[in-house]
Amino acid sequence: MTLTETNPEAEAVASGGETRPETEAVAAGDDVRPATLSSAPQWTPPTGLAGILSTGDHQVIGRLYIVFSLLLSVLALTLGMLIGIEQADIDGGFGVFGQANELFQVFGLYRTTLILCGLVPLFLGLATAIVPRQLSALSVAFPRAAAAAFWTWLVGAIAHIAATFSFGGLGSLEAGAARGQSVELTVLSLGMIGVGLLVGTGVIFTTLVTQRPAGMDLLQMPAFSWSMLVATGVWLFSLPVLLANLVVSWVDMRGADSLRFGGGDAPFEMVAWAFDAPQVYAWTIPLLGITAEVFTAAHRSSPKLFEPMAFIVGAFGLLSFGAWAQSFFDSADPLAQDAHVVTNEVVFTAFALAIALVVLAYGGWLAFNAYSAGQRPQITPQFALVMLSGALLTAAVVTGVLRVAEPALGVLREADGDIWRGFFDAMDDLEGSSLVNGMMNFAVLGALLAAVAGLFHWATPLLGRPLNAPLGFLSVLPLAGGAILVGATDGLGGFFDQPARPYAAGNPPYGPGHFDEIDALGFVEALNVIGLIGYIAVLGGLALVALNVARSLGGAPMDEPELGEGA
Amino acid sequence: MADIAVGTPLAAPLPRQRTLLVGTVFGTAASLMYFAALLAVYLRERSDALSDGGEWIPSSANMQLAPPTVAAWTMLMSVVTMQWAVYSIARDDRTHAIMATALTTLFGMSVVVTTSFQYTDMGLVADESIAATLIYVISGSHLAMIGIGLVFLLLMAFRALAGQYSSRQTDGFVAASIYWYAVVFVYVVIWTAIFVLK
Repeated sequence: MTLTETNPEAEAVASGGETRPETEAVAAGDDVRPATLSSAPQWTPPTGLAGILSTGDHQVIGRLYIVFSLLLSVLALTLGMLIGIEQADIDGGFGVFGQANELFQVFGLYRTTLILCGLVPLFLGLATAIVPRQLSALSVAFPRAAAAAFWTWLVGAIAHIAATFSFGGLGSLEAGAARGQSVELTVLSLGMIGVGLLVGTGVIFTTLVTQRPAGMDLLQMPAFSWSMLVATGVWLFSLPVLLANLVVSWVDMRGADSLRFGGGDAPFEMVAWAFDAPQVYAWTIPLLGITAEVFTAAHRSSPKLFEPMAFIVGAFGLLSFGAWAQSFFDSADPLAQDAHVVTNEVVFTAFALAIALVVLAYGGWLAFNAYSAGQRPQITPQFALVMLSGALLTAAVVTGVLRVAEPALGVLREADGDIWRGFFDAMDDLEGSSLVNGMMNFAVLGALLAAVAGLFHWATPLLGRPLNAPLGFLSVLPLAGGAILVGATDGLGGFFDQPARPYAAGNPPYGPGHFDEIDALGFVEALNVIGLIGYIAVLGGLALVALNVARSLGGAPMDEPELGEGA
Repeated sequence: MADIAVGTPLAAPLPRQRTLLVGTVFGTAASLMYFAALLAVYLRERSDALSDGGEWIPSSANMQLAPPTVAAWTMLMSVVTMQWAVYSIARDDRTHAIMATALTTLFGMSVVVTTSFQYTDMGLVADESIAATLIYVISGSHLAMIGIGLVFLLLMAFRALAGQYSSRQTDGFVAASIYWYAVVFVYVVIWTAIFVLK
C-alpha cells in the first residue's frame, strides 16, 4: 500500500470519471484516511492567560513586548527622576538614597532598564509584530523561539530589578555576603536579559533574511525592515560581547576573592560600554527606519533614493558598533605617558565625527524626500514625534562630537600651546563629565520617541484600532520637551564639571565632599532641577501614551489599512 | 493493494527558505563574538601582566601542551567526519551519514574527556589568579559549546534515522556542520592563545 498526496475527487474529475462515495471505499476494505482525519475533534487553542502564556502568534508576542517594555521604560524614567532629585541638591549629601552605594545601584539600573528592558525590547516588539506583515509572511521565522525569547527577557528583567532592589546591583561599593549574592543574581539576570534579547534578535534577523516573498530583495524591503536588519546585525555582534563580560564578572565573583572583574564596581565597568558612545547609537538604529516610513507617509509619497538611505542606515550601524570601546581595556594608570584610554584613541574620535556626518546625510535624505514630495506634510502625532526624535538624535551626535573635540583638535594645540587656550581647557574638562549622560539620554529618549511614533503609525495592525490623535498630540509635548530638558541639562552640566558618575563618593575629584570641583554649583543644581522636570514630563507623556494604547486595546477592532498608511 | 489518497492536492512547492541554516549561522556568529570577547579580555590581561614583568600563568600550575594538542587534533579529525556526513546525506547515503555523525559525536565526547583530564592534571585553582579564572571561563564556555554541538548532531542523526534528510533536503546536516566547524575553529584559537602562547 502506498500513500500519495493527491485529492481523489480532483483526480477523478480530471480523468473524466466519477468519485466514489466514501462508504463504498470503506465497504471495499480500502483505508480511507481522510474520513478519519476529518472526523477527528478539532484542536482549539487555549484562551485567556493560558493562551497568552503558550502563544506562538507573532502579533501577540509583539504586543506583549510593547506593553511590558513600556511599563519598564516608565520604571526606568522613575529611577532617572530619583537620581534627578538626588542631584538637585549636590552638596546636601545623599538625601534620597542615603549612601553612595544605593545611588550607584540605581545609576546602573537606570541604564540597564531604560535600554535593555525598555528601548531594545520595544523595537523588538514592533519588529516581531510588523516585520512579517511588511514581508507578507505568515509569521516570524521561529515563532516558538520568539516566545521563548520574550519570556526569558521578561523573567530576566523582573529578576534583575528585584535583585538590584535587594541590595544587589552591578557590583557594589560595599562588602558583605548578602550583598554579594544579590550582586551575583543581578549579573546573572542581566545575562538572562541578554540571552532573551539575543534570541529575539536572531528571530527577527532570520525572518528578514528568509521570509521575504520571491522577487523581493533586501533593498526592496520597507525602511523599517531594513533598519531592523542593520540593527539586528549590529546587536548580533554586540550582545554576545555583553554576555561574555557578564560571564567573566560572575565567575570571578564566585571565587573566594574577586580578583579583578567581580569586585567593587567592576561588573558595571565591564558593561558600561553598552551605555556609552558609540554603542548607545546601536540601540537606536530602528529610529532611522521608523522615521523614514513615517516621514514619507506624512508627505503621501514613497521613499525616493531608497538605496542611498539604506547605505546611510548601514553606515550608521557600522559606526555604532561599540563593543571594542570598553573602558575596562584602558591602562591601569590613565595618566601614564603611553597610557591607553579608549576615549582618547583616534578610532574613537573618528567614529564620533563620522557618525555625525552620517546623521547629517540622513537629514539631507529626509530634506530631499520632502522637496520631492512637493506638498506639505500631513501633521500627525507620529510625524511630530519622528521629527523631534531626529532632532534628539542630532543633539546626541553633536554632544558626542563635543566630547571628542579636544582630542580631535589636539593636533592644533600641539602645534601652538597658546591657541584657543580657554576653548581647549573647557574641552579637556568634558571627559568624565555629565556630558556623556546627556549624549546617552538624547539618543535613548529620542529613540523611545521614534518607537512611540511607530506605535501610532502601525496602531491599527498592532492594536486593532488607531490611537487617539488629540491624545497623541497631547503626549508629544511632554515626551519631546522632557527629553530635551533631560539631555540638555546633563550636557550643559558637563561644561561646569558636573561628574558623569555622581556616586563616586570620596574619589577625587568628584562626589560629595569634593563638589568644590564643580563650577557654579548653584547653577548646576538649578540645571538639575530643570532636568528633574524633564523626567517628570517624559513620564507624563509616556503615561498618556499608555492610556492611549489601553484605550485602543480595549475598543472594538477595525478593518486594517495597508501598512504604510499609518493610523 | 490500492493507492490511498490523502488530503487535498499539494500546492506548488515553495522555494526552500533555509530558516534553519540562517538561524544557525546567526547563532554561530554570536558564539564566535562571545569567544572573541573572552579572548580579547584574556590577551589584554596577559599583555598587562607580562609587560609589568610578572608571571601570567602561576608557576605552580602544570600546563602541559600534550592534552590540548591531542584535543586539537581530535577536533580537526572531526572536521573530516563532519564533512563526510554532509557529503553522504547529499548523495542519499543515509547509512554513511549517520555513521559519520556518530564518529563526529565520538570525537567531540573525547575532547570533553581530554579537557576534563587536563582540568584535574594541571592543578590550576580557579580563583587563584586572573589567568586561572579566565582559562576556566574560556575552556568551560567551549565545553558548553561542544555540548550544544553534540546535541545538535545527535538530533540530526536521529532525524536522519527517521528518514527526514536526503539529497533534496540537507539543511539540517549543513547547519550542524557549520556550527561544528565553528566549535573546531574556536578550539584551535584557544589552543594557540592559551596553551601554546601560555
